[in-house]
Amino acid sequence: MISVALRNLRHRPGGFVATFLSAFLGATLLMAFASLLDTSRGADSASASSLATTAGVGGGWCLVIVAFAVTSTLSLAVRQRADQITLLHRVGAARRQLRRMIVGESAAVALIASAVAVPAGLALGRVLLQLLRNTGQAAESIDYAFGPIALSVGFGVTLLGALIAGIAAARRTTTPQGLGFSLGDPPSARRRPRARRLFAALFLLIGANCAVLTATLMDGKGIDAMQTAGQAGIWAAIGLALLAPELLRLVTAVLAVPVRAIGGVAGELALLTVHSRARQLASAVMPVLIFTGVATGTVYMQAIENKAAAGQVEPDYAQDIKTLNYVVVGMITLFVAIMLINTLIAATARRRQEFAQQRLAGATRGQLLAMVALEGLLVTVTGALGGTAAAMFTILPFGAARADRIWPESTPAAYLTILAIAVALTAAAMLGATRRTVRGPATAAVHAG
Amino acid sequence: MTDAVYLESLSKTYDGTVVALDGVTAAFAAGSFTAVMGPSGSGKSTLLQCAAGLDRPTAGRVVIDGTELTATSDTEMTKFRRLRVGFVFQDYNLLPSLTVEQNVVLPVRLAGRRPDRRRVKEIIDQLGLGDRRHATPEKLSGGQRQRVAVARALITEPAVIFADEPTGALDMRSAREVLALLRTAVHQYGRTVVMVTHDPLAAAHADAVLFLADGRLAGSLRAPTVDAVAERLAHLGDTTRGIGALA
Repeated sequence: MISVALRNLRHRPGGFVATFLSAFLGATLLMAFASLLDTSRGADSASASSLATTAGVGGGWCLVIVAFAVTSTLSLAVRQRADQITLLHRVGAARRQLRRMIVGESAAVALIASAVAVPAGLALGRVLLQLLRNTGQAAESIDYAFGPIALSVGFGVTLLGALIAGIAAARRTTTPQGLGFSLGDPPSARRRPRARRLFAALFLLIGANCAVLTATLMDGKGIDAMQTAGQAGIWAAIGLALLAPELLRLVTAVLAVPVRAIGGVAGELALLTVHSRARQLASAVMPVLIFTGVATGTVYMQAIENKAAAGQVEPDYAQDIKTLNYVVVGMITLFVAIMLINTLIAATARRRQEFAQQRLAGATRGQLLAMVALEGLLVTVTGALGGTAAAMFTILPFGAARADRIWPESTPAAYLTILAIAVALTAAAMLGATRRTVRGPATAAVHAG
Repeated sequence: MTDAVYLESLSKTYDGTVVALDGVTAAFAAGSFTAVMGPSGSGKSTLLQCAAGLDRPTAGRVVIDGTELTATSDTEMTKFRRLRVGFVFQDYNLLPSLTVEQNVVLPVRLAGRRPDRRRVKEIIDQLGLGDRRHATPEKLSGGQRQRVAVARALITEPAVIFADEPTGALDMRSAREVLALLRTAVHQYGRTVVMVTHDPLAAAHADAVLFLADGRLAGSLRAPTVDAVAERLAHLGDTTRGIGALA
């Protein structure tokens, strides 16, 4: 089965592009940050601790994002090939063999991505060190090193993440229900909503706990309050992202009247789609929500800090953290863009048959695009609202702890920019994919499925 | 009698090499039930798709109810189609997320009109779906699904209903029911039906059969019987290729 896996990669590389990209970016960032640890071994103690902080914070962030991005892109790549997997099963591939094939593919993609990431990670690591030198956090005399830690962390984490994601995807796809559904049909079995809600509640609780800690224990601790404040928003964002289907239904229920009024029958079809495919659309809500939440939270936290620190004596790592915060926001934007586009393009392409049926029933291309645009609106509004709520877990307690004012003084310009990016990404991915999907005659698409 | 559908020298070539239709001229009178038959690859599905405006012919004209379909854009074609042309497909083509009633009124809604509730109820009851109107397609049998599709095709009182192998996925009993419904639509309500099929049993329900071979007309048969249709089909290759326009 491993040879089938490798043939799949050679002959249908398109399906793995998103997985490869997120693994490559992840490995690059991990290697770059980990190389700072290699570098710190030959540095004086002050520089070493600065390097270690940067590596720890940045690397930790990468870990979370890589795990999330690789898992989601990989499971989508596998789900998209459900037909092929069912076919292989029908011609006699045992479930174990199918699993080995899927896991083999993931491992191969991760290996290639990590290998390609080595030069990129090396270059990025140099840039990071230069940044630290420029801000005086690392001595000029330190030599850059890219050694065993960078390589082992880069390869190890990426490979491990891909393996775990591959095993999870393989288990899901090769269940009797997964293989039993007829070709082209989406599996209708609902995945355990109770476990999902339980985890959501747990993450929200952790987030709330961090928020409370920030406002109480960290009050007056200056920039150190960022540790808990930043975490609070991340945990809350993950918790709310897990509740995406529920949030989406809620927002849809509230917005049903205006959507119907704007869209007419296209609006009605959009509402029906949300109703019947809440889970698929919810997977697009997640990246929007996490992006809005983390980006808003981090940018405004830094803005509060900048204001509060003006005229004060800052600890020498304040500059590190500032740089890092912006790096983190940039990274998250990048990953979210990949994930969002990947999710939406795959989800839209799956609806080829549905679109064709609607066209045969008399829907024009314009009506279909209007329907998808309204769905996108519901997704973006849900993600933006959830993300804003998650950002409050960071901003409000940090403001209370650092500046003694809960609502930040900053302008809404950054927030509006973040929302604009979310809207632009969702709209571009959804409408672009739809436009491509409804090209050509509908009769062919109905049968092609 | 006026023609509901008139096809003039219709040709369709795929990729510039594969000739699916080769200059077919045919007319389908209003209030008639015609079956189009031929072996696979004879171009019968292409004929239906071009006639219905689902696909564009490479050359030739399609006139439905006095309007030339071939001269318009895709969006215009869709708008025309959803009110003047009904469809029944082999695989039903019902939207899984809509109920029976919602599926039936979809073309009317898409045209931005308000469906006439009484008429919708009448049609759904007539087709024996009265107690299933709020069910989704997945809860229906194949025969019931096809009846929903027929109801959807009838709702706009179209100039012509095109049916592509409407009984292809049905058991014998359901098939007979659906064919009887199509006959009723023609003879009681004056609709026009053009049905593509490869099944002589289904074709025998029509008033006339048009034969296609290699993308050209290969004769016609009035008041067909199962045996006569089967006989003609079996010898389709032998017949000299006549231009059988159907009046």
